[in-house]
Amino acid sequence: MATEIIMPKVDMVMETGTFVEWLKQEGDPVTKGEALFVIMTDKAAIECEAPASGTLAGVNAQPDEVIPVTNVIGYILAQGEQLPQNAPQEKQTLRDSKVFAGQAVEVSASSNVDSTVNMLSEEVKTLRATPLARLVARELGVDLNTVTGKGPRGRIYKSDVVVAAESSANSLAVIEPEADEPQPGLSAEGLTIQAAPTIEGLAVQLPNANLRERVPLKGARAIIASRLAYSAQTSPHIYLGINVDMTEVVRWRQMVGPKIEQRAQSRLSFTAIIAYVVARLLPNHPFLNSSLVDNEILLWEDVHLGIATALGDDLIVPVVRQADRLSLEETAKEMNRLLEAARGHKLLPAEMSGSTFTITNLGMFGIEDFTAIINPPEAAILAVAKMVDTPVAVDGQVAIRPIIHFTIGTDHRINDGLRAARFLNALKETLENPYLLF
Amino acid sequence: MSTNGHRELTYLEALREAMFQEMQRDDNVFIIGEDIGDYGGAFGVTMGMLKEFGPERIIDTPISEAGVTGVTIGAAMMGMRPIMEIMFMDFLTLSANQLVHNASKNRYMFGGNISIPMVLRTPMGSGTGAAAQHSSCMENWFVGVPGLKVVAPYTPKDAKGMLLTAIRDNNPVIFIEHKLLYRTKGTVPEEPYVVPFGKASIAREGKDATILAYSIMVQRSLEAAAQLEKEGLDIEVIDLRSLRPLDAEAIHASVTKTGRLLIVHEAPTMGGFGGELAAVVATGPSFDRLDAPIVRLGGKECPIPYNRILERAAVPQVEDITQAARKLALEGR
Repeated sequence: MATEIIMPKVDMVMETGTFVEWLKQEGDPVTKGEALFVIMTDKAAIECEAPASGTLAGVNAQPDEVIPVTNVIGYILAQGEQLPQNAPQEKQTLRDSKVFAGQAVEVSASSNVDSTVNMLSEEVKTLRATPLARLVARELGVDLNTVTGKGPRGRIYKSDVVVAAESSANSLAVIEPEADEPQPGLSAEGLTIQAAPTIEGLAVQLPNANLRERVPLKGARAIIASRLAYSAQTSPHIYLGINVDMTEVVRWRQMVGPKIEQRAQSRLSFTAIIAYVVARLLPNHPFLNSSLVDNEILLWEDVHLGIATALGDDLIVPVVRQADRLSLEETAKEMNRLLEAARGHKLLPAEMSGSTFTITNLGMFGIEDFTAIINPPEAAILAVAKMVDTPVAVDGQVAIRPIIHFTIGTDHRINDGLRAARFLNALKETLENPYLLF
Repeated sequence: MSTNGHRELTYLEALREAMFQEMQRDDNVFIIGEDIGDYGGAFGVTMGMLKEFGPERIIDTPISEAGVTGVTIGAAMMGMRPIMEIMFMDFLTLSANQLVHNASKNRYMFGGNISIPMVLRTPMGSGTGAAAQHSSCMENWFVGVPGLKVVAPYTPKDAKGMLLTAIRDNNPVIFIEHKLLYRTKGTVPEEPYVVPFGKASIAREGKDATILAYSIMVQRSLEAAAQLEKEGLDIEVIDLRSLRPLDAEAIHASVTKTGRLLIVHEAPTMGGFGGELAAVVATGPSFDRLDAPIVRLGGKECPIPYNRILERAAVPQVEDITQAARKLALEGR
């Protein structure tokens, strides 16, 4: 029997994927496990492997097509096999997520997914929820597909449903009731985040200019747009900046950097050193490593560091988990691993979510001072600028020192300037005297 | 001796008192078993009874469990109410043919014309250094036999009340005691009273997780619950008391309240009675109330070792139950 190729479900909350491209042509021989096609999820492009060996046939997914998970997008035929008679000839393109939520369920129930999904999608294809969570979801009218479970392999507990129901109610409350049709909610870390109003919704006048191109807001761009609009609208940001003399860090890196790079088998960037120092400091500044949910500030015990990274034109934020427990060598190694995975489009959605604090570095692009919008539901974000040789006064003399300007943006609902200032001073003190770490 | 006829008795004394009182009340009751006369029973449960009731009603037998079980069943069929003692539950394999094919089936096979009102008392369990052939828990061998009743009380009060129920029941009852419970103490009313079969008891009320247990494991579960209380966890402990008939209603009620179920028994997990208890919840009205997978804690997959340390490690101890209950109560919260 022909092996079905399906749109994989690579994330618990994923209902559809955007098809990007086939890496093979119809009629090409394919080998099980080799990269076969690319999809775009809400967070990143992902290469998907061939579920079997044979000949690619009956492909019916087009670039930019939005396809419900588990829908068949093609077949792999072994020697002597033929396309099934009921093979879908043309996939209906779905534009409205409100419609396809129901269809996706129907499709996954009727198609024989077991034989076709690759390892990655097999792991997460089933929604896992306890019986009580399902019962409570029915009672509260919560769609379990929008709930992030905190259990093993995403298992959803009653408490997860309750949190989702509460934050959903909360986020609905902050949206203006007269804002025309509510946009489909996007779930992130158990928060249901409302997408930004469209420009039509704001009834603004478009410029009278010739149109060059229409670029649809989708995939990573769409989620960045909705998350950061949510952050900017709900969280009053305050910014504080400080100059840090990096002389000692530079010297220290020159001395021991090569040894560490050799042991870690990866580059030791200044970003890695800064990430390591920040992860060490954050446990002493718990309100900067927190989330405001409903009427509570949740102080996180773990430090999951998001590292904002440019990838082509895209911005992605791979997450170094429990960064506070990693050595410098491990930090460098993990950041390198995540970066490699990101470049190969192999980063899993789980590796791009769940951060508790984010660092963003535009130093390599020559930026000497900038601010960033907090990555919700975090409490703060640290912007790292370029290291610039700067004349500074040292003991009454002018000296040239390598200076980095750090800017922290924090949510004023959680923190006043004082806490942010304390953190920046601790960061400055540590980076200017890195030997304090030992 | 305290007021109102409630005294502190050991589990062993409570059992003896039940038999004493019932033998005084009913001439048809007699006791039969190995070393139960002069010696007073392997653990001393029948101590002194030979002197009181004489060798016609306290019958010492040769070491021949199959034969003794047959005699007991025959006497019961003829209208007596025998109490048979098997020294160690391990030896029930020798009685099994008689129990499973005669005691449990004769009433059905003779159209209800005969009944077999017998009690088989036997201690189970490890913890005394008696090694592999004298430490088994075999309740799971008999709970699946229609026609038998199987009970395993934990408190001295239940031991007395349920033994009286067992003697008065017209069906064969396997009455499971535990060696380590014989010396435990509790308040026991002096007057004869019965504790019905098929009713579980809530040994400790709680809301964060349910532990289902019986016999010695109720004691260990209560100790675990007391430790977890200090950590702010509120664990409910259900003492099943009666395995067949089973009080499914009590199980559903507790699981509905707590959403989490830990099943503890000393017999090995594989094939243990815990599987049946898990199935009661998985197939019943409390399934929808589960907010975490059911957890089973049982003996290791090995015969009970002689070495004291290994013997202890082979079956659930307080620390094992504490750990499992803590993890379960906190899971997903």
